[in-house]
Amino acid sequence: MNSAYFLLFLEYFKIGLFTFGGGYASLPFLYELIDRYHWFSHEQLTQMIAISGLTPGPIGLNMATFCGYETIGFDGAIISTIALLLPMIIITSQVFRLYKKFSENKIIKSILYFLRPTSCALICAVGIKLFWTMVMKNSFNLSMFDYKAIFVIIILFIATFKLPRNPIYYMLIASIFGVAFYFIA
Amino acid sequence: MKEKNFINIFKAFFKIGIILLGGGYVIVPIMKDELLLKRNWLSEDEIFDFYCVSQCLPGIIAINMSILTGYKLLKFKGVIASVIGIGLSPFVSIIILAHLLSKIAGIPFIESIFWGVNLSVIILIYLTLKDIWKKSIVDIFSVFWFIFILICSIYNVNAVILILASIVLGITASAKKEKTNE
Repeated sequence: MNSAYFLLFLEYFKIGLFTFGGGYASLPFLYELIDRYHWFSHEQLTQMIAISGLTPGPIGLNMATFCGYETIGFDGAIISTIALLLPMIIITSQVFRLYKKFSENKIIKSILYFLRPTSCALICAVGIKLFWTMVMKNSFNLSMFDYKAIFVIIILFIATFKLPRNPIYYMLIASIFGVAFYFIA
Repeated sequence: MKEKNFINIFKAFFKIGIILLGGGYVIVPIMKDELLLKRNWLSEDEIFDFYCVSQCLPGIIAINMSILTGYKLLKFKGVIASVIGIGLSPFVSIIILAHLLSKIAGIPFIESIFWGVNLSVIILIYLTLKDIWKKSIVDIFSVFWFIFILICSIYNVNAVILILASIVLGITASAKKEKTNE
């Protein structure tokens, strides 16, 4: 049991340390956890992402707390939350003292030159995988596609030209469509 | 200006934790409102600098901004106050919702909401990419690097390995540049 706690701590410490580019950047790691440890199912993760987005607070932190809870209950939530925060507390408070120099530093710049496209690609891969499972239903067969999902995606895409950047608007619009389709069917 | 003690910093960030709906993207306007206009603890420049630095650091942007602010206000004590402050109400809400999840999951009406929200994640990922794309994909090499990592990631190569490889390459490239400059 203690080793389970330790493993949970280690995994979320890793996520805190290696996530670059905002809350959704931790998604690739969470999907990896499913394949490696079966701590929760794909379906559960989908639900957790939805609820974390609709709950106040940083999405990345919400997802970690949630996943920890789903893995070993309340203790798990405490462990995953602290483990996620720890690398940030250590690194960021150290960086404060040199923060002006930090963004000008040549080595940091060079690392970010490689790291930024990597984060883009990791996040992009999650988007493609979600599109593949939710919209294309895991096939290239046109008749298998979820046309309701395609419709909502197009509406949301058009909305990006008009709406502010805040994710909550998109989540609300999409869930209204979800509920509407439910009542129509 | 309110006194910068542990309790006041905690209170300020507790409030930010409650109103922060939508994550990192809305943290800048909220911080401006709570920490500059209401409390005058940070300058506009500092908020912008903190935002830029936080984007370069590992972890969550909103949390890193809180840590930088906390450290500036009250050193390590400020860090603890700001992190617990911003994290407390989300933590409690998630525990309550997680507890309820087993009861509400599977209800078709609730599932239809989840379905919608998860579709919106695809668009939110697109918006995230749009934000960071210009700063990330700056030349031909970065396009190739992006495609290479994308393919690796689609074929389930471990994300930590890909990130470590990028860091190592970055350090190596910078060391090489130094040498050629000498």
